[in-house]
Amino acid sequence: MTTSLWRQHILPFCLLLGLLAIATLAGDYLLHQLKLVWVGRYLGIPGIVLIIISLTYSLRKRKVITVGNPKSLLTFHEFTAWLGSLLVLIHAGIHFNAILPWLATVAMSVNVVSGLVGKLLLGQSRRHVQGEREELQLRGFSMFEVEQALFWDAVTLDAMTKWRKVHIPIFIVFVILALGHIISIFLFWGWV
Amino acid sequence: MNNILKAVLAANLIVITVLVFIYPPLMIAPGKLIPGHKQLETNCFACHAPFRGVASERCTTCHKPVDIGRLLTTGQAIVKPLNSPLFHQQLNSQDCLACHNDHAGVMRFMQQGRFNHALLKKATSEQCQNCHKPPTDLLHQQITGNCAQCHTQEKWVPTTFNHTQYFSLDGDHKTRCVTCHVRNDYSRYTCYGCHEHSPVSIRRKHIEEGISNFDNCVQCHRSASEHNIRNEDGKRNSENDDD
Repeated sequence: MTTSLWRQHILPFCLLLGLLAIATLAGDYLLHQLKLVWVGRYLGIPGIVLIIISLTYSLRKRKVITVGNPKSLLTFHEFTAWLGSLLVLIHAGIHFNAILPWLATVAMSVNVVSGLVGKLLLGQSRRHVQGEREELQLRGFSMFEVEQALFWDAVTLDAMTKWRKVHIPIFIVFVILALGHIISIFLFWGWV
Repeated sequence: MNNILKAVLAANLIVITVLVFIYPPLMIAPGKLIPGHKQLETNCFACHAPFRGVASERCTTCHKPVDIGRLLTTGQAIVKPLNSPLFHQQLNSQDCLACHNDHAGVMRFMQQGRFNHALLKKATSEQCQNCHKPPTDLLHQQITGNCAQCHTQEKWVPTTFNHTQYFSLDGDHKTRCVTCHVRNDYSRYTCYGCHEHSPVSIRRKHIEEGISNFDNCVQCHRSASEHNIRNEDGKRNSENDDD
């Protein structure tokens, strides 16, 4: 793999994902320092509400709703989903109790990663590989040599494309697992 | 690929759903139960009412308040010495969850060592020493009762009392509290508890200075320093400060 694809696209992607992890740890640390750990128990509620709100874009994309600028809604989707995920991650904390909510957290995290792949990597990477291919062809390399030179870029791109396809199915898994967690909370907690 | 992926995910979800019903403690319970309730681990509804949570009435069905600390739920007498005195009988209302939770994951969120004293009957809540051992430091060794003079029931520290605002305990005044506060009555004080000050000598010194009102010493004297004297209004006497 050429180093440019790694440096220009994958590294920033890793950094942005790392930012989510750092923000989660910082949030958790602050709650502990301010003796507000109990607040973390309730952050799941605004978190999931934000994630639900972020689905406005998905509804627009599938023409379930017809109002709203798709591009603005996409930005809104990315922001609210990221923030909602952050709140859910802080809510999950580092405490391991029940398996079901943790599976939901894992599914959500996979969903976030696949979303970031779509946002940050896929389009740019496609353009990058295509540009490389055209440049090599212009310099007179044969098709075999071009494919050989771009082998690892192509493999990476293929993996990213597949990763992107996971976004919707894994979101459905997250919804079902999160619903299981929410129902169990309603069932056993004293809300009234 | 898509269909295979969907089938795998659907199969996983079915397995997870089945596991939730077979192993609810593992799948959805917020941590292990306390050892004493281990036998209830697979019967969530022994304590939880659907959509209403845990009611204290369910706790008191087994744990009769009158027996807490005296008898086990099996009716056997508790023989090992208790770490805390009996006080459950002195509670205004039975709000078990104000202090107790059985799941490890929930206990982590509770503020440890915090007890809402408002749950106690008034007469009981004023008898701090029934539950709390007095600190063993020199100051507290000399005090019996009257904790509320300095401490609140919300927090032990910070105390509400700063002695310096009344009188600085410097010089020879680093002494036992009862020297000035007879019978540990902190609502009063006397300056005649030591050999240094006697009513006769104090009277003579003040009359010589033309001072007739010298009953309340700390009105003018706030420390051992002879130069730190305030006038009768409690304001610092600048002339004495310059000496």
